[in-house]
Amino acid sequence: MKTEESYLEEVTASEYKYGFYTNIESDKVPPGLNEEVIRIISAKKNEPEWMLEWRLDAFRKFQKMTEPKWPNVTYPEPDLQAISYYAAPKKKKELESLDEVDPELLKTFEKLGISLDEQKRLTGVAMDVVVDSVSVATTFKAKLRELGIIFCSISEAIQEHPELVKKYLGTVVPKSDNYYAALNSAVFTDGSFCYIPKGVRCPMELSTYFRINEAGTGQFERTLVIADEASYVSYLEGCTAPMRDENQLHAAVVELVALDDAEIKYSTVQNWYPGDKEGKGGVYNFVTKRGLCERNAKISWTQVETGSAVTWKYPSCILKGENSVGEFYSVAVTNNYQQADTGTKMIHLGKNTKSTIISKGICAGKSNGSYRGLVKIGPRAENARNFSQCDSLLMGDGCGSHTFPYIETQNKSAKIEHEATTSKIGEDQIFYCQQRGIGEEEAIALIVNGYCKDVLNQLPMEFAVEAQKLLAISLEGSVG
Amino acid sequence: MLKISNLQAGIEGKEILKGIDLEVKPGEVHAIMGPNGSGKSTLSSVIAGREDYEVNGGNIDFEGEDLLDLGPDERAHKGIFLSFQYPVEIPGVTVTNFIKTAINESRKAKGEEAMPANEMLKKMREKMSLLEIDNAFLSRSLNEGFSGGEKKRNEIFQMAMLEPKLAILDETDSGLDIDALRIVANGVNKLKSKNNAVIVITHYQRLLDYIVPDFVHVLYKGRIVKSGDKTLAHELEAKGYDWIKEERVEG
Amino acid sequence: MEALKDKLESSFLVFENELNGQALGEVHNRRKEAFERFVESGFPTKRHEEWKYTNLKPILKHDYRVFLSDDNTVDFSAIKKFFLSDTDTYKLVFIDGYYSSWLSETTHEKFDICTFSSMLTKYRDVAEKYFNKALPKEEALASVNTAFAKEGAFIRIKRNQTADKPVELIFITTDHGVETMSQPRNLVVVEENAEVSILERHQSLSSKPVLTNVATEIFALRDSRLNYYKIQNDVHTASLIDSTSVKQYANSSVTVGTFALGNKFVRNNLNFFLEEEYTQSYLDGITIIDEGQTVDHHTLVDHKVPNCYSDELYKGIYDANAHGVFNGKVMVHPHAQKTNAFQQNNNILLTDKASIDTKPQLEIYADDVKCSHGCTIGQLDDEALFYMQSRGIPEKEAKALLLYAFANDSLRNVKIPALRKKLNRQIANKLNVNLDFEL
Repeated sequence: MKTEESYLEEVTASEYKYGFYTNIESDKVPPGLNEEVIRIISAKKNEPEWMLEWRLDAFRKFQKMTEPKWPNVTYPEPDLQAISYYAAPKKKKELESLDEVDPELLKTFEKLGISLDEQKRLTGVAMDVVVDSVSVATTFKAKLRELGIIFCSISEAIQEHPELVKKYLGTVVPKSDNYYAALNSAVFTDGSFCYIPKGVRCPMELSTYFRINEAGTGQFERTLVIADEASYVSYLEGCTAPMRDENQLHAAVVELVALDDAEIKYSTVQNWYPGDKEGKGGVYNFVTKRGLCERNAKISWTQVETGSAVTWKYPSCILKGENSVGEFYSVAVTNNYQQADTGTKMIHLGKNTKSTIISKGICAGKSNGSYRGLVKIGPRAENARNFSQCDSLLMGDGCGSHTFPYIETQNKSAKIEHEATTSKIGEDQIFYCQQRGIGEEEAIALIVNGYCKDVLNQLPMEFAVEAQKLLAISLEGSVG
Repeated sequence: MLKISNLQAGIEGKEILKGIDLEVKPGEVHAIMGPNGSGKSTLSSVIAGREDYEVNGGNIDFEGEDLLDLGPDERAHKGIFLSFQYPVEIPGVTVTNFIKTAINESRKAKGEEAMPANEMLKKMREKMSLLEIDNAFLSRSLNEGFSGGEKKRNEIFQMAMLEPKLAILDETDSGLDIDALRIVANGVNKLKSKNNAVIVITHYQRLLDYIVPDFVHVLYKGRIVKSGDKTLAHELEAKGYDWIKEERVEG
Repeated sequence: MEALKDKLESSFLVFENELNGQALGEVHNRRKEAFERFVESGFPTKRHEEWKYTNLKPILKHDYRVFLSDDNTVDFSAIKKFFLSDTDTYKLVFIDGYYSSWLSETTHEKFDICTFSSMLTKYRDVAEKYFNKALPKEEALASVNTAFAKEGAFIRIKRNQTADKPVELIFITTDHGVETMSQPRNLVVVEENAEVSILERHQSLSSKPVLTNVATEIFALRDSRLNYYKIQNDVHTASLIDSTSVKQYANSSVTVGTFALGNKFVRNNLNFFLEEEYTQSYLDGITIIDEGQTVDHHTLVDHKVPNCYSDELYKGIYDANAHGVFNGKVMVHPHAQKTNAFQQNNNILLTDKASIDTKPQLEIYADDVKCSHGCTIGQLDDEALFYMQSRGIPEKEAKALLLYAFANDSLRNVKIPALRKKLNRQIANKLNVNLDFEL
């Protein structure tokens, strides 16, 4: 297996490993949500009039909406008026190189094991780093530019490539799609933008690291990835968050557009602060992710979700074009008092469309994990195919695992197979490992990684290693 | 090496072992035979430290240390290996990966560095040829979809890799055809030295034709009722266990 | 829907008046409670998660007559075909909601096979112990039935008794020249170590739309065994809403088989509450429907305690513009360890206008459990079809045979030979072939 070595890594800290935060001065807008705040955000970012109008329109739609109650999670409703919607590092000037980045910040990334220079030199991954909503460093731009690939912050894209942003923003996730998507549309401060031109195969994994880093700052990233005809891109997104006592709201929107014959692979390792062992604190992660596939296009979502106190997230595919393919591979781990309601929607509209769903849930402690998925076969989707496998692994008798698949079929030629199982880690499996000298915690990590293999195999190598470490860390202390 | 004194153990309140005494010295091969339900598998499970079993009395001393206080993984680190009668399946975990983890966890427990990859590879190749295992085998999920013979061969392969001081082979011959039996036994014999010991638990004499024991013990109703040399095994094969039972009754 | 609700509200007052002396006491309190809940909640709409895929509006828009007169009679010859032939049974026949003594065969000897109304007067303790104690309070249609509960079947098999023959419950609605609604109410108590098989049918003889809103409560006490079969093969102007709740006690075994072939509209709310350990529950269902038909199966298996086994198998075949729904929920509560729960739902769509919405759910709060569900939607195997044709079986027959084989699993627990035969014949009819087969 490609990442064997990682098992051998010693897992040290049992508390949240990335629970520290960087001390960077912020330029902050006072808390509150109103039209004025949106105007300030737009002005601070020097946005054109159409963008402001777009935001205001979203805000008006948002005001008519209410928070969704259907996910299988409970939490105190976040006070949106107590959130500051804009925070940016004070130094606003363009950075030429990493040397100009705040050294405090570089240290933070080192602690995370993702030092920029290392990444740059060794892995060839271009980094667009978002700290508190504003990009401070972008690398490898030159190389990408040669190929005509645009990879920048969304703010920059609004300035530099307004025609692309205007054409695609909000086309996959409409402003009024849901409560938090509408909020995001109104107040998003930054995020990433990526455009791959016709026929271009992006030679490196594009990657962003998001990080919440300012007390009381909500995060409203906006990501837009457009793969033009017959292009290919693999996009990575990873999250870590500092230890914090109060709840933090994260409501991102990700839109993917795969035009004819294009392919987008979108991978996420999510490790926001999950709260402490008593369920205090932790991030609320309410994300809308959706991709649109045109003819022969393919979108593949892979996610490893270990963090956040409360998650609801359904990376979805609209299979509009003939022969398009949607995939969803997910590992969701919950421990202590975490709650996750996650899954996908595969909307088959075109002929010969195919989708695959592999979901592996692992619940420990007092946590609750739900798979919620929709497979919809439209009347014109001749010969649509879906295969879904949703497995749950339970550890301890205080947790809950739930499966809510919705399957709607309006075409006789559809072939759909859905399977779900729930089981616990076998004591005999653990004993067997122990007899060979593998301690209980390592045994569980080993078994869990084996159980998740089909999903982990979908991740790019460096992410797979990190994901496995995260699984082990997340489940520490969950047996006994 | 191993000294078991007056061991009493059971499961869910049911007494199974009613006072076992057994001493195994380095370089020796012991066979424990007995009819079904006599406590053979309980004995191996208790030595390996399966938590379902309760030890109600007696002790197990391994190289001067009381084993009963140790967890199953700690016992493995001391050099105890149990070849399972029914090896479990662990989906998604390859044979290579599993063995690597096992070896390095043991090394870590002893304060040693992880085994370098090239050394591991070399050792694997060597032991694979001993057990006539091919490369493809290594990348399969542990025991998943393995035939009975493959599972047992995998057990002995792991034993070869881990180089235990004391190996307990629990019904390793069950479900094996004669060729597989020969390969497995051959492997065990090659691994035998004056420093390690083997306990063979079996119902039948068959395996003992290949792994020749220095001592044979007959376990019956939770007690060792007769001990002898390898001829005892032949006698059992010829006469069956009834003979022992009758002897017990008469005695 | 609002019109019908208003009508029911005023009808309830009339109903109360007509009860006279019976309008007091515990039973009526429960009716009133249920009625108040309904008044508050109203009929469910598609916004209600449990009604997401099924629209009640077209069913409830009719101006149903709620109280029917008892002057219509029916000849046995006209309804003979609805009974099991070749086998002797106890029979409870109701015409327009009234018990028909000359068509029925009841007993009070070793067991009570009689009417719900006589139970209310004769066995007040039974009524108080069981009436409305199994149906979930939040189901609006069940609440409406409870509010008007007056007549239906009462079956009580006493301790250690085995019913010597199956029981048939047949509810007939005659032609009144107007749209009619009826609300039968059944209570089944199978006492310790007792056993019985029951068959239930609703049949409309009317040319006008008929709505039956039936509710059945079943109590399977310790060590008891019950098979309950529902044949839903009514005419295409009839709609059926069936709420059935089962409470199972230690070591009992209950099968409910629901065979939906007819009707314009069917909604089944089937709940199993596992109250004590070591119970076995089987939920089997077949749906074979075509032009203009909708069948919605909603099931809940509520594992409240450890060591219970449940097994659910629903098969559906949808032709023309038929619409099918399957919503199965398995709930495993904390501490319900060693639960084994299985659920399988397989569907075949025969045309592009047919549709199926299925939602198999697992909600699990205990870790030492084995639960699984599987769901498929597909077509007939072309290879198999070709193979059969190449051996001389015409396409239509070959298809029917394959479909029959597909659905047949769900007859696994039909233990009355005459019923099995009848179902086989009905399925063959429904598939429009005349094959003399039994797999």
